[in-house]
Amino acid sequence: MDDDQSAEETAFVVDEVSSIVKESLEAVIGRNPYEQKRVNQWVSSVVEQCLGQLSKLSKPFKYIVTCIIMQKNGAGLQSASSCFWDNTTDGSCTVRWENKHLYCIVSVFGLAI
Amino acid sequence: MAFKWQEALCTSKTGFFIMANQPLPLSQETLAQFNRSMSTEPGASGPPRRRLGSISTRRSSKDQSKDQPHHRPLFLRSMTLPSSESSFLSPTVSNSHISMGKRFSFAGWHQGGRVSFSGLYLQQPIQEVYVENTYRMGPEPGCRFNASRTQQILQATLDSYLEGVCYSPDSCSQLCQMLADLVLSKLKDVNPPRYKVVCQVVVGQSGKQGIRVSSRSLMNPNTDNYTSAVFHNHSLFAVALVHGLYFE
Repeated sequence: MDDDQSAEETAFVVDEVSSIVKESLEAVIGRNPYEQKRVNQWVSSVVEQCLGQLSKLSKPFKYIVTCIIMQKNGAGLQSASSCFWDNTTDGSCTVRWENKHLYCIVSVFGLAI
Repeated sequence: MAFKWQEALCTSKTGFFIMANQPLPLSQETLAQFNRSMSTEPGASGPPRRRLGSISTRRSSKDQSKDQPHHRPLFLRSMTLPSSESSFLSPTVSNSHISMGKRFSFAGWHQGGRVSFSGLYLQQPIQEVYVENTYRMGPEPGCRFNASRTQQILQATLDSYLEGVCYSPDSCSQLCQMLADLVLSKLKDVNPPRYKVVCQVVVGQSGKQGIRVSSRSLMNPNTDNYTSAVFHNHSLFAVALVHGLYFE
């Protein structure tokens, strides 16, 4: 019983993390169009909020949060990642979000200490 | 059912049971006598012959040091015992497969793995690897994540692989993944020990759109670091991010 609980507490739960990310995207960007002047601030806010919420989970993880915001102009975008880590304890979560005017890709990597 | 029997075994120095419902410990002399008589006979057969749970005091070489203080007796392996308590070693029980094969030590039984009649393990028991504690709290002085060297490698890789490449939606997804794997494999060679590496590559078409790539991490600034490289030509752009995190 204790082992199960401790395993759950120290595992990277993808659903939990993706819900945190989606909430912060909705809160920061919402339905705003792409604005050159504000995008810097948005990106910082999204990433900071995500990190803040993740650290509140109090799990023994180091986190890396990456955010890409791109204007919808017909151009293509690809993102890939490869990691040298421990498959059993570490995990990642990528959330693709969009509104009418922009695309947003947020990747969260959690590495167990 | 075997409780009475085992109790007797533990207390006696030389546990030896003959044919009786009640197990009786015997002396060394009787044991030797029995063994002699057994060796002269051809084999276990015939109705009046009782099948024996013969237990000798021979121990395997491995267990000598362990067994010295206890004098634990040995058991035969294949014994399918009937459920009734009293008839454990009864001669009238037909399906007691007690054989006269070689003996092996009781301690050996505990080690797991099945033992054949010749005393050799049928399957090697899985030996757990115990790694000693190194008492190391941080990376060694010269073994930190080298951001500048990683950045050079990253930049060189991007430049060499994306020179003159045109963006195409079909091939660029594979190109992107291939680049990420390639960068990781190059970094594995220069990676100091105990470091985990996360590498992310973003490839996009060069259009008139605006784009912002940003990253933030929760890590230990004394031991961990990150680096990035950018490449662009007339048709595409690429951003590579590498984080090196120390793993305790």
